[in-house]
Amino acid sequence: MADRVSADPPPRTIVIGLGNPLLGDDGVGWRVADEVEGRLLATRQTGGNAPGVEIERLGVGGLRLMECLTGYEVAILVDAAEFPGRPLGEVRSCALDDLDCHAAGHLDSAHDASLRTALAMGRRLGADLPERIDTVTVQAHRTDEFSEELSPAVLAAVPAAAAAVVELLRAEAS
Amino acid sequence: MERITIDPVTRLEGHGKIEIFLDPDGEVANAYFQIPELRGFERFCVGRPVEEMPTLTNRICGVCPEAHHMAAAKAADAVYHVDPPPAGKLLRELLYSAFFFTDHTTHFYALGGPDFVVGPDAPAAERNILGVIGKVGMEVGGKVIEARKRGHEVIEMIGGRKIHPASAVPGGMTQGITEEQRAEIEKFGRWAIEFGQFSLGIFDKIVLGNEAYKEMVLSDGYTHRTYYMGMVDPNNKVNFYDGQISIMSPDGERVGTYAPADYRDWIAERVEPWTYLKFPYLKKVGWKGFVDGADSGVYCATPLSRLNTADGMATPLAQAAYERFFDTLAPKPEAGGKRLVHHRLATHWARLIELLYAAERVVELAKDPDIASPNVRTVPTEKPTEGVGTVEAPRGTLTHHYWTDERGILTAVNLVVGTTNNYAPMAMSIKKAAQSLIHKGTVVHQGLLNRVEMAFRLYDPCFGCATHSLPGEMPLRVAIRNSDGEVVDVLSQNC
Repeated sequence: MADRVSADPPPRTIVIGLGNPLLGDDGVGWRVADEVEGRLLATRQTGGNAPGVEIERLGVGGLRLMECLTGYEVAILVDAAEFPGRPLGEVRSCALDDLDCHAAGHLDSAHDASLRTALAMGRRLGADLPERIDTVTVQAHRTDEFSEELSPAVLAAVPAAAAAVVELLRAEAS
Repeated sequence: MERITIDPVTRLEGHGKIEIFLDPDGEVANAYFQIPELRGFERFCVGRPVEEMPTLTNRICGVCPEAHHMAAAKAADAVYHVDPPPAGKLLRELLYSAFFFTDHTTHFYALGGPDFVVGPDAPAAERNILGVIGKVGMEVGGKVIEARKRGHEVIEMIGGRKIHPASAVPGGMTQGITEEQRAEIEKFGRWAIEFGQFSLGIFDKIVLGNEAYKEMVLSDGYTHRTYYMGMVDPNNKVNFYDGQISIMSPDGERVGTYAPADYRDWIAERVEPWTYLKFPYLKKVGWKGFVDGADSGVYCATPLSRLNTADGMATPLAQAAYERFFDTLAPKPEAGGKRLVHHRLATHWARLIELLYAAERVVELAKDPDIASPNVRTVPTEKPTEGVGTVEAPRGTLTHHYWTDERGILTAVNLVVGTTNNYAPMAMSIKKAAQSLIHKGTVVHQGLLNRVEMAFRLYDPCFGCATHSLPGEMPLRVAIRNSDGEVVDVLSQNC
C-alpha cells in the first residue's frame, strides 16, 4: 500500500523501490525508498518545502510494474543493478530509456513482458503513463542468497541514492 | 566434443544457461538447462515463528506470491493440527482461483501465446504481447489489461494487500468478505468466464485453424511420454487448492493417489555432477536418466499434467473444453485405459482450459452460502509439531514442509516448488527440440533459438523462486564452440 507523505492534492509523482528485501543487496531499492520517505517527512516537519510524492516498495516487473505506474506524471524507479566492471555501491541516475535494458533485473519479469514492452503496450492502449521515467541504481552484488542485510558498501550508498532521488524530485517540481 | 551454449544474459553472470553438446558427428548428444538458484532460504527461515511463513514465503518472488502464501498457510494449519472453518477454506480457494485466472492470462498473452499467435519464426522482437495485439487487434490488449486489473482487485479484496496477500493464517483467514464484495466477485467471475471462452476461441482460430501450427504441436520434437502429477478432488477432477496427488503413468494407468503429507514416500531427488539443481523423480519407479517411458521415474507437473492425471474438470464449460481437448489430440485411450496427451506444446491449450475452470470456480465459490460467513478462522490451540501444505501452483505442484519446536519456532523447512518438478522434463524437451533442428551439416540459425526457447517456455518455468532477474523476453546467446572449446560463432536475440 502506498504511504502518503503529503496531504496535498493527489500527487502525480511516484517513487518505487524495486527488489526483494529478503535477498541481500537486492533489497537496496526498498532501503532507499525508506530513506527518501524519511527525508521528505523530516523536511516537512521542520517547515521545509518537500515535493508531494507517493512511495511504493515492490518486488515486481513487466506488466505489473507498468500497471503500478498508471496515473502518474513522474516516476522514479530505484533498483539494484549489476553493471559490468562498476564499483560496488556506485549510484547512477538516468532515464529509463537510456538504461541498458538488462542492467537492472526488476525492469524485466521472468513471467511476462519486459517493462519497455509493457509500457509500449500500455501507451498503445491509451493508459495514463508517465512520459518520462527516471531510474536511480545502486551497484550491488550478493543478490542470490537469502539475507536481510546489505553489503557494507551498498548500505553506505543508501544516503547518496536517496539524495539522487530527492534531487530528481526537486528538479521535476521546479 | 563440440559445444553450443545458449546463455541468457542475466545479472548473475555465469549462471542460467542452456548447453547443447554435440557428438563428433555433429549430432546433439545432450542438452542441459542450468537455472540460477537462490540459496539459503531454509536457513533464513529457521528460528522464525511458523505463523510468519505465509507472509515471508510470499516474498520469495513477485511472480506467484499467492501460491506460496496458500501452501505456507496450509502447512501452518498442519503444524498446528487445525482445520479452518468452511468459510476460511472457501475464501482461500476463491482468492486462489482469481490468482490462477490472472496468472494464466498473463502467461498465454505475454509469454506462450506469442509463439503461436505471432508465429514461431517471427523475429524475437515481435514475439511478445505487442505482437499479439498487432496480430489479433487492439481490443485484445484492452481485455488482457482488464482481466489482470479485475483479477488483482479480487486478490487484494480477499488477500488484504495489493501484491503480497496477507490474509491466510494458521487456522483460516484474518478477514471475511461483505455481501457487497461477494456480489462484485461473482460479477468478476462471470466476466472472467466470457474472457476464458474468448481466449479458447483465439487458440481455436489461430492454432487449431492453422495446419502448420497443428502439425508442430503434434510433432515428435515436442512430444514426451513421461509420468504426470497433479492434484485431484475426491471425484478425481482437477483441483488447485486441495486434494490428493494423482500420479498417471505414460501408458494411461493411475499409479496411485497419495496424501500430500506423504510426498517423501513418492518423490526422491537426483543430483547430477554438472549442476547444483536437484531433479525430482518418482521413487517407486527409480531414476533411469533423462529418458521417456514407463521405466523412467521422470514426471511432469504442468497444466497438461493436471489434465492428464485427472478424470475431468469439475465445472461444466471447462469439462466440455477438456473433452474437446482429448477428442482432438488423443482420441484413443492408452493401454492403461486413460486418454493422455503427450504433446508438450498442448500445455498452452491445457492452460486455457484451466483458466476457464478457474473463472467458473470463482462464480461457484462466490455463490456458496458459506462464503460471506464471518466465521473464517479456527484459532489454533494444539501444540505445534510438523506439517505439510500443498497446492497446485500455475506451473506445478508446490509443497511446503515445516518442522517446529513446541513453541512453533521453525527448526527445519523444505520446499518443492512448481518449476523444480519439471527440471528433468525441461532438459529433455530442450534436447529433443535441438535434436530435431541440429544435424550434421546444418547451419545453426535463429530458428533454433526460437524453437529451443519454446521448448522450455511451455512449462511456464518460474525462475522467481530460483532467481528474480531472468528477463521475460529472454535474451539468448548461442556460442558455438569447436572441439577445442574455442567459440567459432555467436548468435543472439534480445541481447
